[in-house]
Formats: sequence, structure tokens, C-alpha cells
Amino acid sequence: MRNSSILSAAAVWVATLSLAGAAVAQTPALNPEDAQRARAQQQRQRTQPGNDAPVWRDVRYGEPKVSAVRGRETDVLIQSEGQTWRAARVPMATTGGFVFALALLGILGFYLWRGPIELTEPPTGRRIERFTRAQRIMHWTLAIAFTTLGVTGLIITFGKNVLLPVFGYSVFSVVAMAAKILHNFVGPVFVVLLPIMIVMFLKSNLFKSYDWPWIKRFGGMMDRTGRSEVPSGKANAGQKILFWLMLVAVGITAAITGLILDFPNFDQTRQTMQIANGIHMVAGIGGVILLAFHIYLGTVGMRGAYDAMRHGYVDESWAKQHHRIWYEDVMSGKASHGDRPVKVVEPGRGAA
Amino acid sequence: MARMKFICDAERCIECNSCVVACKQEHNIPWGVNRRRVVTLNDGVPGERSISAACMHCSDAPCMAVCPVDCFYKTADGVVLHDKDLCIGCGYCFYACPFGAPQFPQDGAFGLRGKMDKCTFCAGGPEPDGSEAEFQKYGRNRLAEGKLPACAEMCSTKALLGGDGDVLADIYRQRAMARGKGSEVWGWATAYGRPEGKPSAPRPQDKPGPKAPANGNGGKS
Amino acid sequence: MMRRILTSLLIASTGAGLLGLAGCGEREQTAHYEDGRYRGKPDTPPYMAAPFGGDVMKYENAMRTRAQNQNEYNRID
Ligand code: SF4
Ligand code: SF4
Repeated sequence: MRNSSILSAAAVWVATLSLAGAAVAQTPALNPEDAQRARAQQQRQRTQPGNDAPVWRDVRYGEPKVSAVRGRETDVLIQSEGQTWRAARVPMATTGGFVFALALLGILGFYLWRGPIELTEPPTGRRIERFTRAQRIMHWTLAIAFTTLGVTGLIITFGKNVLLPVFGYSVFSVVAMAAKILHNFVGPVFVVLLPIMIVMFLKSNLFKSYDWPWIKRFGGMMDRTGRSEVPSGKANAGQKILFWLMLVAVGITAAITGLILDFPNFDQTRQTMQIANGIHMVAGIGGVILLAFHIYLGTVGMRGAYDAMRHGYVDESWAKQHHRIWYEDVMSGKASHGDRPVKVVEPGRGAA
Repeated sequence: MARMKFICDAERCIECNSCVVACKQEHNIPWGVNRRRVVTLNDGVPGERSISAACMHCSDAPCMAVCPVDCFYKTADGVVLHDKDLCIGCGYCFYACPFGAPQFPQDGAFGLRGKMDKCTFCAGGPEPDGSEAEFQKYGRNRLAEGKLPACAEMCSTKALLGGDGDVLADIYRQRAMARGKGSEVWGWATAYGRPEGKPSAPRPQDKPGPKAPANGNGGKS
Repeated sequence: MMRRILTSLLIASTGAGLLGLAGCGEREQTAHYEDGRYRGKPDTPPYMAAPFGGDVMKYENAMRTRAQNQNEYNRID
């Protein structure tokens, strides 16, 4: 008897609760603004039946409403930002493309006028360890990733205008597909490598007082005899600027915006992705321009620079000519690679 | 030539979502992709209106403009179609489209986008009309069968209309006339509202009067 | 010798980059739609399918009739 009354009381209680819950769920949860707009429509249909102007105006605000269809922003009827993004892409890509092309022209002009920066003294045969093995592995991994991202990014951005007319639809589609997949999969690798690279090379890229004269005279690079190079530490001011621009500024910006674009499964809105895409494009074009400069000076532009990163050693004369202060530090034992001194291999001995 | 259009009458749509279902059914659309959807404004309060939306087959289509592989094309009927063999699934069309029409089957890891899928105005794709390949990729080609989009044709309240813009305009005009504000149907005042509080003209159901014209296709045949 | 190769390489790559300049002349971003004109990839128009056999007028009329089916004022009475 007592049991059953408790049971029925519980049943009533549960029923009441669920009814209340259902009622709450049914009560439209309009925010004040939506309620205001709903009232405008109610008012309008009293005075002018059949006039839905307030509702259509509401549609144009592009705010989320209610939809039974699940998916990204299915509850937004019209988003106008897409048109803004579409319009902004053109001048951005155009300007970016021009700057990139001008940069390439500039590099070519510089090469034709200046030629490669040669050694002014004959090599002594004494070789100094410039980069550790870990640094070189890191550099080349990141270099491959960066270049892949740059090239595939260029294909995705300018391919429609440059490659499509040459290749035709089907072939270009395959190229673009490969570019997109590479870009999307190499991207996260780049994001992982980037901070390691930055930390690894941070110390030698902090600005020092002797960098200022270098900047003021552009390192003496404009002197075709190559005899007026401004002394610099392990990295000269130009390299430091490149480090901060290319890896820190461009790299981190592109990494963050790239992650937003690469993983669309977190329900980020279209507007987020449009903005991310715009920033990513600017950062990317900046990145390939800096990359072009870096590749030029690291290969054809300067004798011995490629070997430094390839094998890790530079000739004494090279060090003396291009990084005088670092050279002196090495000779006096002040320079180090982490916790060990910089290796110097005397002529005739094999590398470590 | 016709200019194919959709129109959704917000006065009539009852948010039954049948158009959504009809579309999925007609084209065997994969899970997670909805070419059409219904959005409700002022949900659950007086003044509620619902609107069914899909690709609107824009004249100056943003999707077409931003696609990096230029895979869209426009038929002579004004239908915006795309070639899934070319699409690389970059998602740009989805960023640009005002109506959120492009859809992506996300069957890969990390939200990797598959080939874009969107409303075709039941006009299939570049494959031969009515072929199995076309059906697999784009769904049925009803236009080639002499039919109009399934969503519009089965709409129970005829809120959603699809077909040549001229014909739709005639149907809608006749409907608006029948809704009965007589001369007030026309003009800026009705389209953009009048000062609040001014009473509207009596509606036909309130007063005895002539029935709606039987054939209102505006003198066209 | 080496220098010659490098120079030609550099000129070639810059040339490729300059070709890229063509990309700066961004094609117009609007899709020109002229009423009733086909713009696009190869695709058979719907009136070529079996029921119409290439008869445009037949197709257009069928479409118009079909669209008028959506007019319920034509169907009641
Ligand atoms: S997908 Fe969007 S932008 Fe493209 S035609 Fe359809 S509605 Fe217009
Ligand atoms: S997702 Fe496909 S259709 Fe859309 S813009 Fe990218 S390539 Fe073009």
C-alpha cells in the first residue's frame, strides 16, 4: 500500500518534471534582438497582411536562425561576407603576384649586375663547423616542407590563370588536386617543425649592436669588389631579418591560419575561414618572396653558402669574409654549439 | 530560352522539410549532405516564417568565380552545374556562396573535403543525360526527362516553385492577386512597407467579390 | 662553365616566374551569363535526350506546361 503510493507519487513527479521540461524545450528561446524582429513582423502582418518585409530584412542580417537540417551554418540563410571575400581576393592576388614577379626580376637583375659573391681571399683549407648535424637535418626538412607549401600554394592561387590555359582542364585538375593534397598534408608537418626550428636558431638571430651598421650599409653587398663587407656575428643582420620575417612572422601567421583552413571539422564559420584565407594568402606570398631571396643567396648568389648547410663546414676565409665577428669568436673559443666548442678541422684532415 | 529559377513563398512554406527529403530521395544523396534545407525565422512565435533554400543558380555566380580549377559551367537554361571530375574539394565555393549551397561529403580524416556536391536543378552533370555515371555523381537528370526539380514539383503547399522565371513570375503574380489586396498588390508601398498603423484594404475572403482569374499567365501561353 | 649553367638556370627560372606574371592580369571574376547562351564545359543540353530528340521547341513547351502544373489556380475550378 505504502509502496504503491510512493510509486504513484514518483510517477506524478516524473510526469510533471518531464512535462515542464517539454514545455521549457518548446518555449522559443528568442534573444532580445530576435524577439524585437519577431514583433516587427507581428505588427506588420496586423497592419498589412501578407507583407513579410520584416522577415526578409531579418534574413539579410545573416544571423543563425532555426533549421532542422544539421550541418555547418545550415541555419544561416544568406551570408554576404562571401561576396566581400570574393571581391577582396582579386586585388590581393594581383598585387601579390606582381610583387612576387618583381622580386624574381630584382633577383635576376642583382645577379646579372653583381654576379655571385665570390671569396676575396683564397681558401686556407682550414674548415670551421658552421652548423651541427641536427641543425642541418632540421633546416633541410623544413626547407623541403616550406618549398613544397610555397609551390603548391602558388599553383592553387595562380594556377587557374597561368597553368590552366596551358594544360587544359583535366590535366590541370590533376595537378591542382595533387597540390591541394600535398599542401594540406605537408602543412601540419610544417606546423610541427616550425617551433623547433625557431628555437634552434633563435640564439644566433637575436639582434646585437653590431647589426645596425650592417643594416645601414646593407652589409656592403652593393660593393661589387666584395671587399667592404660589414663584420657580422654568426648570422648577419640580413639573415636575422629573414629569420624574423620568414620563420617567425610569416611562418607563425601561415601556420595558425593554415590550421584553421586545413581542419574544417571544428565547425568554424565561413567568415572565420574567409578571413583566415585572406591572411594566409598574404602571408604565403610574402613567404615565397622571402624564400626566393633565401634560396638565391644560399645557392648561386654566394659562393660557399650552400656547402655550409650541405656539409656543415665552411672555409676559414669564407668565415673571415662573411662573418668576421663569429670567426673571431670561434678562434678565441668564445663561440660554441650548445655545450661544446665549435669544431675546427685543420687542412688535410677529414671532417668529423 | 528559359531562365531556370527557384522561388520560395514565405507566406506558404510550412517547414515540413519534404523538399529536403524529396531531394535526398531523388538523387540518392549521401549521408551528411543536404542540397536543400529549410530555415525558420521567428521560430515558435507569432510571425514565424520558413524559407526553403538551395543553390539559387546565380547569374554572376560567386562559386564559379572563385573555383581554382574553374569546374563550374552554366547551361543555356541558366542552371549552374559543376564537373566533379575536376573539383579538388578546396571549399572555396562554400566560402563564397551566399546561400551555403555547396556541400562536402566529409568521409576522409580530419574533415578532408571530398568532391563538392550541390543542387543541380535536377539537371545532372556533364556525363551523358540519364546515364548511370551521371546518376552516381549528380543524381537524376529530370530536366532531360521533361520534368522540373523534384523538390518544387512535390511541394504540398506550392510554396516552393521551380522552372522558367517568366512562368514562375506569372504564377506568383496570380497568387499575390488572389491573396487579395487588389490594387495594393503592386507598388513600392507594399514591397517596402507603409507607415505602421495604416489599415490595409479589406481582403477578398472578407468581402464578396470576383474570384481569382482562372488563367493568370499574363497573356503568355 | 659552371657559371654559364647557373646563369642559364637562373634565367630560366626567372623566365618561369615572369610567365607567372600572367597570373597578375587576373581574369575577370564575373561569370558572363547571357540569357539563353550556353557557357561552359561540354555537356549535352537536356532537349537532346530521348523524349525530345533535339526538338528545342518541344522541350520548351513541355517545360512551360510542366511549370504551369505548379499553379494550383489552374487546377482547381
Ligand atoms: S552554389 Fe551558391 S554561388 Fe554558386 S550558383 Fe549556387 S547559390 Fe550561387
Ligand atoms: S570545392 Fe571544387 S567546385 Fe568548389 S571551388 Fe574548390 S574545386 Fe571548385
